[in-house]
Amino acid sequence: MAVSTRRIAARKLSNLAFVGFCLLVTAIALTALALILYSLVSQGLGGLNLDIFTKDTPAAGTPGGLLNAIIGSVLMAGLGMVIAVVIGILAGTWLAEYAGESRYGVVVRFLNDVLLSAPSILVGLFVYEILVHPFGSFSGYAGAVALALLAAPVITRTTEDVLKLQPIALRESGVALGTPVWTVIRTILWRGSTSGLLTGALLAFARISGETAPLLFTALNNQFRSFDMSKPMASLPVAIYQDALTPYNDLNRLAWTGALIIAASVLTITIAARFLSKEPRRS
Amino acid sequence: MNALAPLPADTSVAAIDKSRVKLDVQNLDFFYGKNHALKGVSIPFAAKTVTALIGPSGCGKSTLLRALNRMYALYPGQKATGKIMFDGEDILRRGIDLSMLRAKIGMVFQKPTPFPMSIHDNVAFGVRLYETLGKADMAIRVEEALRRAALWDEVKDKLHTSGLGLSGGQQQRLCVARCIAVKPEILLLDEPTSALDPISSAKLEETVTQLKSDYTIIIVTHNLGQAARLSAYTGFMYLGELVEFGETEGMFTKPVTTRASDYITGRFG
Repeated sequence: MAVSTRRIAARKLSNLAFVGFCLLVTAIALTALALILYSLVSQGLGGLNLDIFTKDTPAAGTPGGLLNAIIGSVLMAGLGMVIAVVIGILAGTWLAEYAGESRYGVVVRFLNDVLLSAPSILVGLFVYEILVHPFGSFSGYAGAVALALLAAPVITRTTEDVLKLQPIALRESGVALGTPVWTVIRTILWRGSTSGLLTGALLAFARISGETAPLLFTALNNQFRSFDMSKPMASLPVAIYQDALTPYNDLNRLAWTGALIIAASVLTITIAARFLSKEPRRS
Repeated sequence: MNALAPLPADTSVAAIDKSRVKLDVQNLDFFYGKNHALKGVSIPFAAKTVTALIGPSGCGKSTLLRALNRMYALYPGQKATGKIMFDGEDILRRGIDLSMLRAKIGMVFQKPTPFPMSIHDNVAFGVRLYETLGKADMAIRVEEALRRAALWDEVKDKLHTSGLGLSGGQQQRLCVARCIAVKPEILLLDEPTSALDPISSAKLEETVTQLKSDYTIIIVTHNLGQAARLSAYTGFMYLGELVEFGETEGMFTKPVTTRASDYITGRFG
């Protein structure tokens, strides 16, 4: 069979064009990321000092920090993640191991996917209706529930996906030893998917750590330091939102610093978790 | 003892002395939904002996094996009818404790499936479900199981490293060790060497040879040589039926049925 050099040349050219296009698109995405990080660091780093971590949000023109917002964010995101991890891992496990293609399973899976892309402001309004309005007060608890509602679908989805990646033979060999199915799931499947489950939780954490809209309707804000989650509570995203909208330079700078703190903490937690969950290597 | 029927017989199932039968399958039918995968299979498995199940792909060997520890019960839509007598008790009966049954009837799969934990914990896993042993006793039990699976010498210095770090052949022997640590009475081996290289296969065969005096072993294999080397009895299955069952030597030298003869001589399969 004669080799057509023209065909080979044409194929090489189209290959080159495609790889070039991929590189270009990747470069655009990375440039955007780099620019965002650059503006965050350049604008935020200058405001970073001890006051940020020791003082509460100030009125314009007075010195202050973000301590109350950091405390609020840690408490609400922390409680939200605890709720979301419990619900998400159990729901994802149920979907992967028990639901199969049953009608109920299919409906739950579909609704979870809908929730996954639900606008966060709607989740905020929903929690406002069920927790803020009936109890007559904005609260840190309501904020945590709103964040949990945003994080749980992410964890449910990733849990289902990573459990389904585990070979059927692994389940069967656990069962074949006389292990009840639930024990197989807890002691073998979860352990085998630790890094995947952790990734899911991190994705969820990254999703909620910058959310402002659901907190505006639920936790509102608090100018003062507070550990009482039954009262309105400050948070970093809301502090950024409010400080950035003011015409005052010092508050604007505080907003940049807050944004930098969020980005840095998500990055640090992600890297730390990756490091901790390293898969064992073949010797 | 199997030359009763003249050639070409349709089916031929040799009888085994009742007192030697550990597991007795009687008239077993198996269904995957509407698919009738096993048709009236009756086969005895002798105690402390290796029985091989051979036959072309899709003939029902693995299905039969998975009925013996009721692995199929994990999947709705799969069902078995008939009787499987194990020490005088029908294990297909409703309400039988499946976990206890599976602890007595161990299984090793086609692909090695080490659990994501250390070598020691892999072996101790099943033991911990049923017994509370002290650290020292557990160490003894783990060593014993690993020795019997002919793996001890290769792993004794790295018991606390992950089981996933072993080679494929070592992983498969780890699965055997994990199985026998629970002290089962029967071992079901489902094509245990089909994912292994020849050297690892040979080592696994050695392991089986060492175990056969103490366990009732049932091995499904595509490798006729393996069946001939390891087993005392062989069952040949075809299209969901047990076509011929008898002593391995007789079956491989003078099969009674045409279908078994054709398969063993390589006319099909």
